[in-house]
Amino acid sequence: MKLYEMVAKDAMARKRRLLFAAFGIVIGIMTVVGILTVAKSGRAQIYEQLERYGPNLTILPAVSSVDMRIGNLSLGQLGVGENYIPEEKVPVVREITDRLIRESLEIKTDAPIATVSPELYATTQVRGTSVMVVGMDAEAQKAIKSWWMIMEGAYPTGQNEALVGHTAASILGIKVGDTVDIGDDKATIAGVLEETGSIDDAQLFIPLRMVQKAVNKEGLVSSISIRALCTACPVSVIADEINATVTGVRAVAVKQVAETEMGMVERINTFLLAIAGITLLVGLFGVINTMMASVNERIRDIGIMRAVGASRNQILTMFVYEALVIGILGGLAGFVFGTLLAFIIGPLIFKGAAISFVPSYLGVSLGLSIIVAILASIYPAYRATKVKVADSLRSL
Amino acid sequence: MSTMLEVKNVTKQYGDGEARVVALDGVSLSAGKGDFIAIMGPSGCGKSTLLNVIGGLERLSTGEVELEGERIDNLDENQFVGTRRGKIAYVFQQFHLLSSLTAIENVMLPLVLAGNNTDHRDEAMQILKKVGLEKRAAHRPSQLSGGEQQRVAIARALVSNPSLLLADEPTGNMDQKTSKEILEMFTRLNQEGQTIIIVTHDPAVARLAGRIVFLQDGRVVEDRD
Repeated sequence: MKLYEMVAKDAMARKRRLLFAAFGIVIGIMTVVGILTVAKSGRAQIYEQLERYGPNLTILPAVSSVDMRIGNLSLGQLGVGENYIPEEKVPVVREITDRLIRESLEIKTDAPIATVSPELYATTQVRGTSVMVVGMDAEAQKAIKSWWMIMEGAYPTGQNEALVGHTAASILGIKVGDTVDIGDDKATIAGVLEETGSIDDAQLFIPLRMVQKAVNKEGLVSSISIRALCTACPVSVIADEINATVTGVRAVAVKQVAETEMGMVERINTFLLAIAGITLLVGLFGVINTMMASVNERIRDIGIMRAVGASRNQILTMFVYEALVIGILGGLAGFVFGTLLAFIIGPLIFKGAAISFVPSYLGVSLGLSIIVAILASIYPAYRATKVKVADSLRSL
Repeated sequence: MSTMLEVKNVTKQYGDGEARVVALDGVSLSAGKGDFIAIMGPSGCGKSTLLNVIGGLERLSTGEVELEGERIDNLDENQFVGTRRGKIAYVFQQFHLLSSLTAIENVMLPLVLAGNNTDHRDEAMQILKKVGLEKRAAHRPSQLSGGEQQRVAIARALVSNPSLLLADEPTGNMDQKTSKEILEMFTRLNQEGQTIIIVTHDPAVARLAGRIVFLQDGRVVEDRD
């Protein structure tokens, strides 16, 4: 028989007490694992919701000397001038972006991942008034500007359909169903946008081909907006890759948006982990309490062991063994219950999020649990070594 | 006969000032190897305190205790562990067995704690045979009678082959028949050369000892063979 076998036998005789001590840890670990699992599974959902903030990567012609466009701002007077990107760069840029995302997320599919929206800006005469028209790929534009709301009519789908900003519609006096002349072509207004508070309000959105033809810029675009959502690959990495391999363009990561997104996710995680930490701390005190009670109810046993030759270190070791048992039990149960908890509360927090089982958190929960159990046992175990043998054995 | 134990002018006080209680008031005692000494006296005379001081369970206030020529009263807790492992062993009135362990495991306990890596089961079984409990080895204390528990406790004390066996009212909780069995066991052990000091208030127990020391108010009032 070894010392640990003795502790094990003793522990078996006091199962309920041990389980009670482990319970405090289980609650704490359960919260940590539950939150981590929900946070991990919910992250994709958070990013999806953050798409509303617009593009996070903009491709501009390399020759332009000033930042022509930051998000939706400062576009009004810019002389798009002679600076254009050849349209054949669009699939190249898409290929690079998708490849980097695929590589970092280890996705096998060949389907397009990032939203790539080519745009051509031009100022043209519509009904006698000079207006900024935006040539666009309707589908990509819709995905990028997910906050757009249609006030009247519908989002354009047909080849000759156009969308008009709120302000532009009232200045030009055009309604859904009207036709406007764009160069030699006619575009039908399919819908009017609700006010966005951005430059979009004063613009007219028309199929790219039509604008290219009207302003004689066939095969050219002014910029490419990209929405590349990828937690593991910062957009600046994608931007660097594009700048290094594609000539004639300059890729700019819209840092403000990217950083806001990251910061938001980080803050949510920090907040949740703080809650988990507090729960664990409460659990720690619970275990200290139970361990103290354990020491008190075993004062006689400690005295007996001392009387038959146990050293203080051996008494300390016994309590450390006990803490290890509590830690392992607490870590295992905490992981199991935490995962179950995630499956229950996850869908409530992130509607419809698919919660996945994260085996690597087993190591995290075992480690944390053992650390907490040992920490909680230090003081009680120290007290146990200070038990006065004669006092503990005195018959009452 | 060589001297096993030398108790020199030992005092023990509890508390201070008004609340001061003098449990031992200058006790001197000497025991030779192979002695069987009974310490007697009324309740509160300090006989248990004397045994605890000899065994290092309690600290003395003044005086000296020598075991086999070496002072043990000034050892600190950790140093005294060595003395408990093999030099001094106890038998208590309440047996003080660990309830979670079986009889044989309780007997093995001192050897496990002393830490040599051999399997102690055989040694423990031999000692259990000696006290006639080999058939009860796998029983827990709660499944044993008082007399059996005390025999396990005696086996536990003997397993480390102590120089000095201290027993505090070992038959205090027993009926006459069981008490007799236990005392016969002590007598037999003494005949085999075991030095024993037994605390009792029962004259019948004391009669078995070769020497009786009477304590009263913390002093030795009579010491006779």
